[in-house]
Amino acid sequence: MKVASQDFLQQAHEALRAKDKVERRDLLGQFMPAARDAAANAYGDFDGLRAHMKRVRGHTTEHLAHYLQQFEEAAVAHGNQVHFAATAEQLNSTVLSICQTHNARRVAKGKSMVTEETGLNELLLKAGLEVLETDLGEYIIQQAGEAPSHIVGPAFHKSLAEVRELFLAKHKLGERALESVSDIVEEARGVLRERFLAADVGIIGANALIAEHGTTMLVTNEGNGDLCANLPPVLIICTTFERLLPRAEDAMALQRLLVRSATGQSHTCYTSFYSGPRREDDVDGPLETHIILLDNKRSDILASDYHEILDCIRCGACLNHCPIYIGVGGHAYGWVYPGPMGSVLTPLLTSLEQSHDLPNACTSCGRCAEVCPVNIPLPDLLRDLRQEESAQQLKPARWRRGLRLHAWLLRQPVLYQRLTGWSMSALGLLGKRRGAFRRMPFASGWTSQRDFPAPEAGGTFMRQYAARKRRGGRRG
Amino acid sequence: MAESVRAALFARLRERSPAPAEPAEIARALAAIGYATAARMPHADLHTAFIANVLANKGTLELALDRGAAVRAIGRYLYKRFRTHKLVAGNDPRLAAMPWRDGGVLPRFGAAEPGDAAALSYARLGVAETGAIVTFTGRANPGRNNLLPEDHLVLVNREDVVATLEDAWAKIRLETGAGAWPRGIQFIAGPSSTADVEAQLVLGAHGPRRWHVILVGDTPAQDLEQARGELPEA
Amino acid sequence: MDKPQAKRKRSRPRRDVALMVTCLADLMRPSVGFSAIRLLERAGCRVTVPEQQTCCGQPAYNSGEIDAAVPVAQAVIETFEPFDYVVIPSGSCAGMLSHHYPALFEGEWRERALALSAKTWELTRFLTEVALLPAPKRAALEAAVTYHDGCAGLREMGIQQQPRQLLQEQCGVQVQELTENQVCCGFGGTFCARMPEISGKMADDKLNHAVASGAKVLAGGDLGCLLHLAGRAKRRGLDLEIRHIAELLAGNPKGPGIGEGRQ
Repeated sequence: MKVASQDFLQQAHEALRAKDKVERRDLLGQFMPAARDAAANAYGDFDGLRAHMKRVRGHTTEHLAHYLQQFEEAAVAHGNQVHFAATAEQLNSTVLSICQTHNARRVAKGKSMVTEETGLNELLLKAGLEVLETDLGEYIIQQAGEAPSHIVGPAFHKSLAEVRELFLAKHKLGERALESVSDIVEEARGVLRERFLAADVGIIGANALIAEHGTTMLVTNEGNGDLCANLPPVLIICTTFERLLPRAEDAMALQRLLVRSATGQSHTCYTSFYSGPRREDDVDGPLETHIILLDNKRSDILASDYHEILDCIRCGACLNHCPIYIGVGGHAYGWVYPGPMGSVLTPLLTSLEQSHDLPNACTSCGRCAEVCPVNIPLPDLLRDLRQEESAQQLKPARWRRGLRLHAWLLRQPVLYQRLTGWSMSALGLLGKRRGAFRRMPFASGWTSQRDFPAPEAGGTFMRQYAARKRRGGRRG
Repeated sequence: MAESVRAALFARLRERSPAPAEPAEIARALAAIGYATAARMPHADLHTAFIANVLANKGTLELALDRGAAVRAIGRYLYKRFRTHKLVAGNDPRLAAMPWRDGGVLPRFGAAEPGDAAALSYARLGVAETGAIVTFTGRANPGRNNLLPEDHLVLVNREDVVATLEDAWAKIRLETGAGAWPRGIQFIAGPSSTADVEAQLVLGAHGPRRWHVILVGDTPAQDLEQARGELPEA
Repeated sequence: MDKPQAKRKRSRPRRDVALMVTCLADLMRPSVGFSAIRLLERAGCRVTVPEQQTCCGQPAYNSGEIDAAVPVAQAVIETFEPFDYVVIPSGSCAGMLSHHYPALFEGEWRERALALSAKTWELTRFLTEVALLPAPKRAALEAAVTYHDGCAGLREMGIQQQPRQLLQEQCGVQVQELTENQVCCGFGGTFCARMPEISGKMADDKLNHAVASGAKVLAGGDLGCLLHLAGRAKRRGLDLEIRHIAELLAGNPKGPGIGEGRQ
């Protein structure tokens, strides 16, 4: 997907102007955290579960080569063809090549963020294939020609009315009206059912790779991923190589965390483990299965101080709890992954140059870390990226200089207290009547939205305190 | 080229830990981490908890004392829902052995087709923790039988209900020796659903609209009543 | 009638407390610092205000100028480590010393940072867990008060119940909670000036909730949040009095609220 993160501020500005969408996001920001909390409380020791998962993933990434090899051997033994793709282009060309080998015309896709990352659909479309997203949210945005706005609900930004209009334009509805969400879902069910049945190739993602069994885990509520995995004659599973878990039981821990953190449910409808092509005993299923393991900088990230971001299970909780994400929405971030996890991953997968605004779209409030099911220290990783931004001289020079000058001044207490004593007294006097300034030199960022409160008259605390001490008094 | 991509990746991974641990050591470290704890059950009794969670999943459930009762229950369901006696069922020997004629039901054994109103599966397991049933793909239950029809009916034996997801895997491991691994292992916990439009939950997305579980065995009727009374807040 | 109380000998030695007044209180609202001293003395402490203090170094640190923040942290550690307690009328500054300073260092400096961290307290938590205030001798505050929980105070220093307890005990006030009281107000240090529009939206949400709570006074424990909210409230002409909790606890404040003039 094309990167537009460099236009974050402009996109955020546009997003804030669309008041109906702001309202919709505000509701999401109230409803989703409440659902997550209720589910976490009903579970029992949810924090214990999070800590457990962190230990499992820490162990897994510590021995990643071992588990990757174990997975590959088991998957190959089951009859899968396992491919390694170093780059996005390699993944795309591998998929295309498999499709062309089978003279495929129609592709049915389950939800796969990795293929959004690599821009797979565009390549397949250019090569003349029909590509149909089957996850309802993905289908809606595909029809609308839009990017996903949320990693769990890609079409959350669309109202019922907008979806209805979209279906009116794109489907042959005849006399039927689509009044409710149920009607919409019913309509999509009918249209997409035909496509599952007609698909030559099914492409899905994987929530996890189970090393001990060589199986891939697929978690959905809709069942569309499972239809892609059971009906077409060829199945391609696209994921990244580090999505490994050692045991099936670890997948169960993952499932418990994922669904509660994502939607506040206690389970998902369909949790499936696929091992490969048809066995002798099977009467349905793909005749050929391919697992494509993508790197695309994950191995760089693994070797870096940011490796914990690879534990992300794509639950979206950090998005739902982030006041900046709720404020501006997913499209402002300009790429596949928005919100706090996106603000870490996007600079690492694209470049800091293109996306350095994203780690700055953060107040370090810590709400994301509070709810991350795998305890990723998101605020710390974001701060580290801001540090890199400075080191790479991407931060606007006046900010960098100003902050460093300020930090230097802080270590010259006598000079600092003299300068501030003088300036605050002056400002305090000037602002005494009204109490605040509409404009302030060097502070246009502040005053564009707020008045600048006047300092209390009488000078700084340190000056007043020193004066009182000299006079012999102890307190004010 | 493909082999060099793979080799390069493994080389990179291995350079992170130049003295890799022995597999036995790794296994010990993993065992020391152990398993996660299961979610709180809605009821102390295993079967009541299972029933309560199936109902919370927006499934329906009834009790049947034995296979004869189950067939009659299926017959009633089909007639009430579709005014029919037909359904599709996999070639599970347990299903073949059921007294269909006595119940007036006409199963077609094989894979579900688009347009089939109802399919029947005989689950291998029920999981109380999540109100899920487990099936394996194969002749006994083609994968599409769980997914294509409007209504999915599932039989679960009382003695096949386990408490937690980890218990389920312990049983699954027993059933899958080397080379006996099924193409697909499916945990199903409810009719299909989606919340993709305005985050409103709607049933009947791509998979079945309705999910009906028949718990076969001597389960006291009061377990069902108790389970109903203990539905979590909607 | 109770004269002898004033002459009664202290049964217990005073606690030695160093006050870190915070750069924002120092520059913008000294009354917060003086209120903090009054409160600490009332709670039986002997308060020292080290002269060479300036700031905890958060602005540089949070913006990613970590290397510029390190010497500032060292200066703060040197200044405050001689004392038994370091008390700060700010959750974010207390959090900076407690949580972030140790992460800046290794070896000896890390040990020193950890030692300082162990005796660093946010003001309201200090006054509810270490040095207790006597019952007040004044009338209850006659105003409906709502409270904004600063993020660092809440998540790094565990400040939530303490300000509410103190407002009840000292001011006779039951806080009227605003909805989403744990959601960030949008200050975030340099964020509010680098991304003003988003920050303004977050302030508006917070202020709207504050007004909707029915309260006339919005209190909080962090001047960063309060200056930002007061500035936005003033821009919008909202009828809301914004104060630091130390001002309310120390006595019914007579001066103007944050951002308010004397007109």
